[in-house]
Amino acid sequence: MRGGPQGACDDIPADADDRKEQRLLRSPLSAARRQCSQRQARPHRESAVQLSDLGEICHSVMGAASAGDLGACRFYLERQDIPNHQRASIYCQLSEALYHKGSRDVALECARSAFDLQPEKEEIANLCAWVFSNCGEHEEAAAAYERLLAIRPHWAAGHRHASGSFAAAGQLDRAVSHGRKASDLEPHSFEFALHAAGLLESIGRPEQAAYYLVRAAALDPADAGVLRHLSTTLFALDQSEQAVALALRAVALTPADRLSALHATELLLRTNRYDEAAAIILDIVDIHREDPVAFRLLSATQMLRGLTEDALAAIDRALDLSPEAAEYHLHRANLLYRLGRLDEAAEAFGRAAALDPSNPDTKRSQLTVYFDSGRFIEALAIGGELIRTSPDNEEYARAMLQVLHRRFEMIDGDYVVLSERPSRPRREPRPRPTIFAALQTQLRVIYALMIRETRTRLADSKLGYGWALLEPVLHILMLSLVFAVMMRGRPPIGDKFFIFYYTGIIPYHLFVHTSSSMTNAVSSNTSLLQLPLVSTFDVIIARGLVEVLTDLMVAIILLAGFSAVGIGLLPRDLPALSASVVTVSLFGCGIGLINAVINAFFKSWDKIWAQLTRTLYFCSGIFYVPGMMPDWIRDILAWNPILHAVDWFRSSFFPEYEPHWLDGSYLAIVAAVSVAAGLCLERGLRRHLYEPL
Amino acid sequence: MITLDRVSKVYRTRSGRRTVLDNVSVTFDSGQNFGVLGVNGAGKSTLIRLIAGSEIPDFGVVRRYARVSFPLGFGGTFHGALSGRENVAFVARIYGAGTRGVLHYVEEFSELGEYLHMPVNTYSAGMRARLAFATCLALDFDLYLIDEVTEVGDQRFRQKCAEAFRERIQRSDIILVTHNIHTLRQYCDRGAILANGELTLFDDIDAALGQYHRMVQESL
Repeated sequence: MRGGPQGACDDIPADADDRKEQRLLRSPLSAARRQCSQRQARPHRESAVQLSDLGEICHSVMGAASAGDLGACRFYLERQDIPNHQRASIYCQLSEALYHKGSRDVALECARSAFDLQPEKEEIANLCAWVFSNCGEHEEAAAAYERLLAIRPHWAAGHRHASGSFAAAGQLDRAVSHGRKASDLEPHSFEFALHAAGLLESIGRPEQAAYYLVRAAALDPADAGVLRHLSTTLFALDQSEQAVALALRAVALTPADRLSALHATELLLRTNRYDEAAAIILDIVDIHREDPVAFRLLSATQMLRGLTEDALAAIDRALDLSPEAAEYHLHRANLLYRLGRLDEAAEAFGRAAALDPSNPDTKRSQLTVYFDSGRFIEALAIGGELIRTSPDNEEYARAMLQVLHRRFEMIDGDYVVLSERPSRPRREPRPRPTIFAALQTQLRVIYALMIRETRTRLADSKLGYGWALLEPVLHILMLSLVFAVMMRGRPPIGDKFFIFYYTGIIPYHLFVHTSSSMTNAVSSNTSLLQLPLVSTFDVIIARGLVEVLTDLMVAIILLAGFSAVGIGLLPRDLPALSASVVTVSLFGCGIGLINAVINAFFKSWDKIWAQLTRTLYFCSGIFYVPGMMPDWIRDILAWNPILHAVDWFRSSFFPEYEPHWLDGSYLAIVAAVSVAAGLCLERGLRRHLYEPL
Repeated sequence: MITLDRVSKVYRTRSGRRTVLDNVSVTFDSGQNFGVLGVNGAGKSTLIRLIAGSEIPDFGVVRRYARVSFPLGFGGTFHGALSGRENVAFVARIYGAGTRGVLHYVEEFSELGEYLHMPVNTYSAGMRARLAFATCLALDFDLYLIDEVTEVGDQRFRQKCAEAFRERIQRSDIILVTHNIHTLRQYCDRGAILANGELTLFDDIDAALGQYHRMVQESL
């Protein structure tokens, strides 16, 4: 737009007699200055000596003012007896000079002072309007122009300036009325007409805008810009025929101009004249090879012509030139969607959505693509986002519902039937197992656990069962050597150290091995307890049984070994032997059960128990006979059930050994009580023995 | 048929007590496959283990009128130092199935070959899973408990598993826990929803799914 407030000085007219010089001078106030200097040039006729004369002072001050000397002027301006019109003139002069010197703020202040003092004076209003508008004070400029227009109401350029200032100050209505006045006063001005049209359009009066545009077009029929402008306006007024005609005329006037071409193409597309549009846009794309907008338009044209592949190529080119345009990605996605390339379309929609996350329509389109390509999970995710961002949008909600519906439908009908589900005969419920069957199962489980126990023991250490045999052998060997030296060759009973210590070690081991190994049974078999059939009782008992059987095997092997090397001795009293073995094993199992329960609550119980068994070793008559002890000590030791076990076992080997303190029934009762207590504890606390995995 | 009679189960977690079942009495009829639905942490796995008998209810009784499997594909009982064969034989013994027949089936099905004679320690996770799956199928259970079907092995082996399973559910029932709606609809006749200590049975898996869907929506 020409002739904005910045350029006001070029257009400021002056009085007819001053016009010639005015063109040469830079501002309207120069006229006043000229007058002053003329006056200065005159001889000081009236009173050369009277320096207090205001007129004289005025002359010198005017000189200072035109030089922009603020300090010199201030002295004068502070005087009270200065008439307002002079004061205003001085401010005016100062303002102009200061403005040219670059101190715009002070110039603005001076102009304001001048305008306040004498707004009705044309020269002052003129200068002030110029300073105001150049300083960006559009409202004040507009006020100054209105003053001027009150003096000269038919001044077309003045109306044009006022309009510009009002428009810049945001008062569009007044800007429009001045703009129209300007053009109406001077209908031959192309610029005024264009200005008025632009303003009218911006306040939404296309009919009146069209009127002024027609005027402008008549003034300069070769201006493509005006034709384009008018065409747009007419199209908005539904006069599409004329609009298109004008657009085509603009193209004819400037065939290489991209703006005219793009405009014409768009109008042609909107009026469904696709082929004509294609002709224009293809030409322009040839000329402007780097213009993404042209390619975007070409893509739209080809799409509307049904050439979707070409359209895709065009939008790809546009995206090469401008990869960040969300709308291009959106368009491309739509094209891909049309072509049935749903996955790529979904991706393109995704890119558009990423570039412009605030646009819900992109997401809505994405939803459609996912929906159509059967990607319901993605569709649901997008739908969720849509509903979250715009919870009140009914259309989105409906789309989401549709997706959900289809998802269920798909699950209903779309899956591959792996199994026909014939109505299977309802099986008779199995009867609950009888006690006999339950017992059978339990025995089976314990048996399986025992086998596993032996297998793992074999697998766990290299020695495996070697150790089970080696431990008592070494033990007996060591005791025999030590005591053979100490006792000079004769054991307390019989004549063979090996057999004597054997009869002590075997029952002791039977008890200790059993009770100790059962202590850890639950914690080391937690994984097995996952199997429904396996109970804590099973794993505890299986361990005890394995120990008992192992120790018995060891006992038999040792005895056989002794016999083989000629130091053997066969038990004389088999019933006593079996009775003692069974009771001590039962006692071991009973204590083992109790240990297992205690260990579930006190994790270090197994360590304490190991210490206790060591003490037991010395109290059980393993390497001595209690008969060797003083009576009172023996009476205390006789409370130890293991002592009875050892003596019972021992007496079955040596018929001559008949200890009067031996009471098998005591051991049996203790064993029975321990087993009962162990079973009760295990049963009662079964739920708390382990934390399920 | 499985009957839960006034069963309660409370789980102690670090964040406090969580009621899985609160005085629940239901009957899982035989001849019907059940799909159990519930949000994460509702206690579906605990329910499965209660039914299996791996866990004992705090109160109440679970009665099983069927041979109930351990959760399908559960390989936790395998002892690393024992060979595959020994482990399988152990499970077979526990369930009183013929050791030889079970071993034969597992050899055929798991395709582990010579690995069956090696300690389970040396197996990959996939091989362990195959062994567990084969063991579970080898034992002829009336009711299979499946807690989140895990895909085992390559495409071909999965096909084989699906086939074997399809054949098996001609005569066995299943109780299935999964989030896969597809699988649920494929296998289950009826549904159950576990939420807030209550177990609700539905006559129809679709009804259960619908209700579950509404439930999840509401809680969102």
